[in-house]
Amino acid sequence: MRYSFRFAALLTSVSVWMGLAPLEASADETCNSPYISNLIKGQEDFVHVWTLGEPGLGDASDKLVTLDANPKSKTYGKVVSTVSVGGRGEAHHMGFTDDRKFLWAGGLDDSKIYVFDVGTDPSKPKLVQTIADLPAKSGFVGPHTFYALPGRMLIGNLSNAADKGGVTGLALYNNKGTLIEKYAMPTTAIGGVKGDGYGYDIAVNPAKNVFVTSSFAGHKNYMRELGDLMKDGEAMKNFGSTMVVWNLKSMQPTQVLSVPGAPLEIRWSLAPGQNWAITAAALTSKLWLVKQDAKGTWVAKEVGAIGDPAKIPLPVDISITADGKGLWVNTFMDGMTRYFDISNPEAPKETYSKHTGSQVNMISQSWDGKRLYITSSLLAHWDKKGTDNEQKLRAFNWDGHALTPAFEVDFTKEKLGRPHHMKFTAKGGQSLALAALRK
Amino acid sequence: MRCSLPAIGVVTVALLAAGSAYGAADVGPGAAPRMEFTPLRAGTYRLQSIQRVGEATLLDERGKPVKLSTLTRGKITLLTFFYTYCVDPLGCPFVHETLTNLRDRIVSDKALAQSVRFVAISCDPTNDTPAVLSQYATSFTTRSPFEWRFLTAPAVPALLPVLDDFGQDVSVETDEHGRPTRTLHHMLKVFLIDAGGTVREIYTLAYIQPDVMMNDIRTLHIERSATTSVVRR
Repeated sequence: MRYSFRFAALLTSVSVWMGLAPLEASADETCNSPYISNLIKGQEDFVHVWTLGEPGLGDASDKLVTLDANPKSKTYGKVVSTVSVGGRGEAHHMGFTDDRKFLWAGGLDDSKIYVFDVGTDPSKPKLVQTIADLPAKSGFVGPHTFYALPGRMLIGNLSNAADKGGVTGLALYNNKGTLIEKYAMPTTAIGGVKGDGYGYDIAVNPAKNVFVTSSFAGHKNYMRELGDLMKDGEAMKNFGSTMVVWNLKSMQPTQVLSVPGAPLEIRWSLAPGQNWAITAAALTSKLWLVKQDAKGTWVAKEVGAIGDPAKIPLPVDISITADGKGLWVNTFMDGMTRYFDISNPEAPKETYSKHTGSQVNMISQSWDGKRLYITSSLLAHWDKKGTDNEQKLRAFNWDGHALTPAFEVDFTKEKLGRPHHMKFTAKGGQSLALAALRK
Repeated sequence: MRCSLPAIGVVTVALLAAGSAYGAADVGPGAAPRMEFTPLRAGTYRLQSIQRVGEATLLDERGKPVKLSTLTRGKITLLTFFYTYCVDPLGCPFVHETLTNLRDRIVSDKALAQSVRFVAISCDPTNDTPAVLSQYATSFTTRSPFEWRFLTAPAVPALLPVLDDFGQDVSVETDEHGRPTRTLHHMLKVFLIDAGGTVREIYTLAYIQPDVMMNDIRTLHIERSATTSVVRR
């Protein structure tokens, strides 16, 4: 158990007090929940990359790769640590615990959840726990989103163990790794819209006592070769077309919203007093706004296109600025990174775009908006083939007008795998062991 | 939550100049919690069973050893970690002000008054000795018969497993040279524990919404009353 591990580490640092280990760590991109521990708004020191193993490349295992992201460091732009998990299970997303000391990272294929300690020494994360009971205890597979609640981790899943289709649910674990509850995604009509039972992202707004979920596809679709899948008309019908509004206290769905085309990442505006969220529908390449109407009913409204929807650019990730006025969007197929002015979220306007790779997927920005990180891999079976299958993390600087390259790491050349989700941490702080010194 | 260390720690802190090479990151200020909804009525929802509270032996305000289980069972308990010298307006003072207001609402409800207690555990046993706690507790306990207990540990090693069990982080900020400063960080958490010793809700800063907390307490009280009623039958 990782808590035993952490306790042991703390106790050790007390007993050998001259060897105090740094404990506090975290810098945050804007996609993290701002409602748990205070965000760190300075320079991130490390970018942790949850990386899919690639057969025949290095150890072929999924791994957490840590890059030095501080320009003042001697190892800036270099890989400083890798932690392999000893298998390949379609590494995909991860999320911090409420105190930002641990990263929970999931495998979409094997449904395992790996817990990494990134608080003790963020330059050298350690795998401290593996949770393998999700399918057996919840019936769900494909753990995707890891969203911290106080003392708990709410996990948005993509599929189910019975038929590997898209009907799924949420699993709530405590921070010790024990399943507390599970919640099925609605399949009946709520508020006049029928639920499809599909799941994907989670985003919480404590001020409104709500959270919103989105919907993607089941294991049968996301583990299939994309070319084959797109030729299968029946299978292509099996994508999510809803978002669900939940009561956070009761954990009950209160509304189903119709959002066709697989709505993926959800971002609440981080501006104080704002209570709207935005998402991008992957298959239709549209931006959708979720907000309350005059009566307090939540509504989803299409507010703009991303690129040319007819060309299926496939928006795969978004990143909102801290002031809620800008939105970065990555589209996988055309390798474009676009910036939208969303000062008026009802009418987003694209104001900048740049081709940032032959295939681009996740996008994360620093809290101050000056640095942007982009990875290349979507899913092992959906990535492009041949020379377009570049597997890189590219870092950029943003001056408000243009992206300029900062550094890049070639994950194939480094024999690491396919880079997907990113999280930031920063050095700083020491353990409570210091208190012992003040005797 | 950020809290400045008391002067007593300065000399020792200075001795740590040879510590790690880690610098402090820029921690943004916390934001006061907002509540823009009507909370669910008490008893119309069920609180999750998050985790059992482990056992530990701590010290009370008089320096007497006390088993934590005696203060986390038998009543509905709100438990928090704090420092007596914390001055963060959105830290310990904010929580204690919130708890004071909740206490006043609880004692005005005859059904709840004898069924709820508060427990505050110091994160800094080096400074917050039983004598310091006793003095600190006066302003919260003298005007009310309500059970509000303040605990500390004989030393940091005795406190660490308690922090670990609750998932309560505490760390010390470092300066640009990696030296510990006089600022402590700990994440603000208030734990709602049922009479059986199970954590049923955790409130971090964004969730410190007194009306919700009050309804959660009432929900546990209703749940307990129903259980007791069934047992009596």
